[in-house]
Amino acid sequence: MGMVITAAGTALPDTSAPASVVDLAGRAARGALARARVSASSIGVLINVGVYREHNTFEPAMSALVQKEVGINLDYIADPEPAAGFSFDLMNGACGVLGAVQVGQALLETGSTERLLITAADVHPGGDADRDTGYPYADLGGALLLERSADPHAGFGPVRHYTADRPTDVEGYLDTDTMGRHGRTTITVRREPGHAERLGEFAASAVADYAQETGIDLDRTLVIGPSETADDAGAKGEPHTAAPVLGYLRALDGVRRDDYEQFLFVSVGAGPSAACALYRPEGW
Amino acid sequence: MSATAYSRIEALGVYLPAAVQTTDQLSALVPGLGEVDIEKITGIAERRVHDPEPAAGEDSFGMALSAARDALESSRYRAEDLDIVISASITRFKDGNRFTFEPSFAAMLAKELGARSAIHFDVSNACAGMMTGVWLLDRMIRSGAVRRGLVVSGEQATRVAQTAAREMTDSYDPQFASLSVGDSASAVVLDVSTDAADRIHYIELMTCSEYSHLCMGMPSDRTPGIALYTDNKKMHNRDRLKLWPRFHGDFLAKRGQTFAGEEFDYVIQHQVGTRFIDYVNQTAEAEFAAPMPPSLAVVERYGNTATTSHFLTLCEHLRAGGARPGAKYLMVPAASGVVTGALSATLTNVGV
Repeated sequence: MGMVITAAGTALPDTSAPASVVDLAGRAARGALARARVSASSIGVLINVGVYREHNTFEPAMSALVQKEVGINLDYIADPEPAAGFSFDLMNGACGVLGAVQVGQALLETGSTERLLITAADVHPGGDADRDTGYPYADLGGALLLERSADPHAGFGPVRHYTADRPTDVEGYLDTDTMGRHGRTTITVRREPGHAERLGEFAASAVADYAQETGIDLDRTLVIGPSETADDAGAKGEPHTAAPVLGYLRALDGVRRDDYEQFLFVSVGAGPSAACALYRPEGW
Repeated sequence: MSATAYSRIEALGVYLPAAVQTTDQLSALVPGLGEVDIEKITGIAERRVHDPEPAAGEDSFGMALSAARDALESSRYRAEDLDIVISASITRFKDGNRFTFEPSFAAMLAKELGARSAIHFDVSNACAGMMTGVWLLDRMIRSGAVRRGLVVSGEQATRVAQTAAREMTDSYDPQFASLSVGDSASAVVLDVSTDAADRIHYIELMTCSEYSHLCMGMPSDRTPGIALYTDNKKMHNRDRLKLWPRFHGDFLAKRGQTFAGEEFDYVIQHQVGTRFIDYVNQTAEAEFAAPMPPSLAVVERYGNTATTSHFLTLCEHLRAGGARPGAKYLMVPAASGVVTGALSATLTNVGV
């Protein structure tokens, strides 16, 4: 059984209001559900993998707020046809989507859900990434709808994780010593000089290791890697956790079927941690 | 690795700061409360509070690390044997006063423990965080994705109490619930169950998102600190409390089972307060039309410890030595989201 992407979507902030994960993830998710013609109540599990969020909210899980925005299992008792949806946040820096794909495989295989929605949205806590020059990421949301495929050759292959044996190049935190009364709008993202080159090399070595471990031909594989801009999606700044969603949509848009047998997702970031996963679309 | 039918709780660990704060001591810090008796309302006599000195190792990360090591001491596995490390802290304080967003706590804990090849990620699901980590680990073990793993959480929960004490003006303040929290860490190791004597029979969770806004945690905009704002009345009204028995009852009915037929020996509710626990159990007795088993609690001594509460209560219970081997436990989360559900497990040879 393969787990395939039934639909994907991204969302950008509406400039009339501060950017919010709930809005971006909600719109990206609703867009994906509409394209797949799937009802919100059919989603058994929603996993939100975004790292940065409005007001630096730490409770509840952003997923619960996104779940409400999308309209999944609002009230199990009041709903005339209760469907017990469940949601949580899974955070692992830039590697969140692939981590959620990995647990999603276990959830489908154990029959814990038939459909899984992954949302990946990051916003500056103050609501506008452009106004903080020290913050590198775009206010951007993405969503993937995942389910089983009847095609045994389609879907995600194994997700593998790689850890570099050195201190992290990237840290994101709220410094509560210096935030004063501005903790809801302040965030620090500290990146070591040369981090991009080092993480690029780490991603390349993870791809090479993965190819060797799984025996795939990289010449016939389109690598969907970390991207430095989200310009084509209309966002300023680097895509963070939504990068695999953006990369997937770009790949589908530009790929020539004859050139490739499959995609290889690779994410790399804070830890340093990297993750790779093979993906073959249905019908390939 | 191959698929398996069940996982089990293999070992437990905890960490509790040594410093005790009585409810009277806390009340004295909240002048706005007047004569309101917090202990009478919550049933909480005292809680543990972290030492803010970095050298004490009692930030969320340090306490989580200590609980993980405590669990591994009682486990048959070493850190390098772990296939996965899941961290579930709500309050992710590391290096003193940094609230961390990335790298994940799990990545840093795995590295510090020496679980170098372990899959790692953080789970955030309010007070149901550890339960969510256990739910995921159970599914990953059953699918054959991993053989064994660690779920861990460390909470400097009393930071929200400090903010509440500074800012509250009366007992109707949305920060009132913040006065009931305590600091702690807890860890649990899961692996494959090969014997019905040690087995997670099921763990099922759901989120009723209509009420996701009733308890919100974020930095305060009035004083420097993190805060929790809870609409207690709506959060804990009778209809919310019926969610668990209704969901659990439906789950059992689909399997042709009843709550009474489960024959639980103990129930562990989320440790919100003694009156809350009594109210949840009474509501469930009415819904299930069946008596509740003895209800285990540590809330009087430790307060509401957020994500760690069920596994802290379970570990204390097993360490006290009175537990009957082979007893069947029911754990019921209750968390912002609103998250509820049920974990059913038989425990005989748990490392504590």
